[in-house]
Amino acid sequence: MVSAFDKGVVFQLGNGAFSGFRRGQKGVNIMKRAWSAVLSVSLAATVLAGCGSTGSGATAADSAAKSSPESAGAAGTAAAASSTASGTASADDAGTLHIAWTADSQTLDVQTTSADYGIPMNVYDRLFEIKLNDDGSTQLVNSLVKDYTVSDDGLTYQFTLRDDVKFSDGTPLTANDVAFSLIRLLGLDTSVNTDFASCIKGAEDYIAREGYSYDDTLEGIQVVDDTHLTITLAYPFAGFLYELATPPCSIYSKAAVEAAGDDYGNDYKSAIGSGPYMLTGWTRDSSIELTQNPNYWGDTPSVRNVDIQIVPDASTISMMFQNGQLDILDCDILDSSVVESTYKTQYADKIVTANRLATTYFILNEDNEYLKDVKVRKAVQMAIDRQSILDTVYSGDGNLCDGIYPKGLIGYSEDNQGWLKYDPDGAKKLLEEAGYQDGDISFEIATDSSDSANTSLVVQMIQANLQAIGINTEIKSYDEASWLALRKSGEMTSFVGTWTADFNDPDNFIYTFFGTADKTKLRSINYKDEDVMKRIQNARAITDDDKRIAEYDALEKKIIEDDAAWVPLFGRTHLFVTGDRVRKYVPHWAGYGDFFVNEVELAD
Amino acid sequence: MKQIVKRLLETIVVLLGVILLIFIMLRVVPGDPVTTLLGEHVNQQTIDRLTKTMHLDRPILEQFFLYVGGLLRGDMGQSYKYNRPVTQMIMDAFPYTLALAIMASIFAWALGLILGIFAAVKQNRLPDHLFMGISLFGVSMPVFMAALFLQYLFAFKWKVLPLKADGSFLSMILPAIALGWNSAGSVARITRSSLLEAMQADYIDTAKAKGLLGRAVILRHALKNSMLPVITMMALQLSSMLSGAVISETVFAIPGIGRLATSAIENRDMPVLQGTVIFTTVIVIAGNFIADILYSVLDPRIRKAA
Repeated sequence: MVSAFDKGVVFQLGNGAFSGFRRGQKGVNIMKRAWSAVLSVSLAATVLAGCGSTGSGATAADSAAKSSPESAGAAGTAAAASSTASGTASADDAGTLHIAWTADSQTLDVQTTSADYGIPMNVYDRLFEIKLNDDGSTQLVNSLVKDYTVSDDGLTYQFTLRDDVKFSDGTPLTANDVAFSLIRLLGLDTSVNTDFASCIKGAEDYIAREGYSYDDTLEGIQVVDDTHLTITLAYPFAGFLYELATPPCSIYSKAAVEAAGDDYGNDYKSAIGSGPYMLTGWTRDSSIELTQNPNYWGDTPSVRNVDIQIVPDASTISMMFQNGQLDILDCDILDSSVVESTYKTQYADKIVTANRLATTYFILNEDNEYLKDVKVRKAVQMAIDRQSILDTVYSGDGNLCDGIYPKGLIGYSEDNQGWLKYDPDGAKKLLEEAGYQDGDISFEIATDSSDSANTSLVVQMIQANLQAIGINTEIKSYDEASWLALRKSGEMTSFVGTWTADFNDPDNFIYTFFGTADKTKLRSINYKDEDVMKRIQNARAITDDDKRIAEYDALEKKIIEDDAAWVPLFGRTHLFVTGDRVRKYVPHWAGYGDFFVNEVELAD
Repeated sequence: MKQIVKRLLETIVVLLGVILLIFIMLRVVPGDPVTTLLGEHVNQQTIDRLTKTMHLDRPILEQFFLYVGGLLRGDMGQSYKYNRPVTQMIMDAFPYTLALAIMASIFAWALGLILGIFAAVKQNRLPDHLFMGISLFGVSMPVFMAALFLQYLFAFKWKVLPLKADGSFLSMILPAIALGWNSAGSVARITRSSLLEAMQADYIDTAKAKGLLGRAVILRHALKNSMLPVITMMALQLSSMLSGAVISETVFAIPGIGRLATSAIENRDMPVLQGTVIFTTVIVIAGNFIADILYSVLDPRIRKAA
């Protein structure tokens, strides 16, 4: 039905493009064509010239922006015509931190997201926090908890809460809110973080149950009075307090959650917390506004307001930063070549480097006909030139990992250095010993289509390294859902991944990858050593920290050096650039892009 | 009138077909949305529980009727990823896309018509070649290039306009030009050719012979008769712009329909993707429908043929 008219248009278009030429005489025709071509080419040349001068242009713009705030204000003036936060006049701007994200928060309900921690970290409090010390180490500090005791069997925790904590709406925070938050984390249908509290007594059965009601109770969580709470675990677990410090274990106001109902997490006004900031504005996919919580129990922070702009295009964010419109720039969103050429040169003294509690690894399926042989896996470990990958893809920003635990994690030690050595000749010999000739072995490396370009590059370099010792690999890309499904089925052959710590304890790495049959299928693809699983589960219950860490180190040696079940690649640092207004910026202890705003200090 | 009713009925049939097609297509792609939604921090119990809540354990036919039933009530379902009503998400995003499309169209039409008319009047002379060169450039310039180029020059280097959209009129100028640039080129070319054709008609010679001035002949007689294809094209351009301009919206950070759709694809958020596709289909079909009506309003011959 539409087609008749569509055709009309197509016909007219064709007519339009050529009619001028068709009617003219032949000689004139050619001249006209030439003239049109010249015009187009000259216009195109102007465009290209504009693009070509990017480098010098950027420099000029930078220096203008640096020398006079007014020049940066030109764009600001234009924006000031609007009523949004980005256009606030400079007088009100004192104390406002401007940052940009490439994607908006999906929800403010941190129990239903495993990615959007930026707002909840600053709006809610937790029972404990993990703080980054100046020497790079981390420690668990009390937050809402004033005091606590643990029973000798490691099962019962008695918490005393601070009695001076109020939510931003002025209502007091009590033990009931704590119990409510943890139970909702486990019981809500859409909770994606049940793992963080599943060690509480009765949790496993409760998670399996259908339906959730605000008044649900749990055997393991008993409220004594407004400031006292007892939590009983199903089994002793030394990492429990660290789990309570993760963003998903944030404490909500029961009254606020009930009042908002299903809209909790969508309506910014109902996201009531006791943290240093509260939400005062949220325009979807456009901007988020935080303001100091007047009822906050802790020290008053230096940053009074936070203006978060949602800008999907990284180069737009980069230009905004250079124009002085942003105070902190996360280099992760940029191409490493841009970081290298622009920021490491012109902003060298403004770069803050964070240690990332994360290990990038290459994992092999032990059920694969070739990879089930430990010698082949060992050869793969030796064939990969990790330093050159790190240098090429990430400009060398990081360090090699020879074990499971990244630098900075409790339990990390330098003793494992040398477990993996780049030795292609040795690798070839190992393959020969295992009875394989050049080209005998071939397997697939799976990639997730939503992976960054950098990850793809890492995979390609691994492919080249393996090719050099005579192992053929095929890189195959899967969409995210198929990728996860394939991993869950235990049939993925190999992949490159990165694990970032949720809490600072080796358990978060070793249990997650090797602790249970399900987890080994998904994450370490079929490293089915029952004995190792049992040892990992038992290690959770060792209450003497030194002994527990010693056991984790022993397990690390068994998995990496003896069994070559994992190919650790490297840990990367996380670079940020700060603007002139920022006096102090403390990155997140695990090197996330999200950070605690109350630790930032502004110059004005 | 009969014609219009007939077209309307056809439109509804097409729409139903589109809904069915989209529904099936989004379900044959491999992978489980629950897995994507929940990620890695949960156990199997949590996954089973959510699958039931989302009705994904029901037969596909039942799911389809549940969906169409909701659609009739204006309920496009709940976003998997954002846990918000899809209808509301689309209604939040649409005003931005509408503003952008209207500004881009005004720019494209004004520039296109002026260039096209001038080029036709000055046929085979310098302005013609110049303007047609410009329009060729417009037609061949990809939107992403125009967007980056304009942004770099006007917002970053000269700082006369904002780098990103913030809701103000000024901040929409660059995205509107970037988006309208292409259309301006095609409007100019089609106006020129159509006007030239009209000017060769006998009635123009008659008008000239009667002693009418050149300008009057062009504006009153030739232009009016040559506008038919131009207006059709404009209506189609507008409806395609209304269905979202992914690149302009991304570069200038405009939270419109195009970005909603792309992020739904990335997130595998089927209800949102389904909703945006159906919504934009309705808009495009409506655009074509209006163009048809305009056609018959403007041209008595079509009206009579019906």
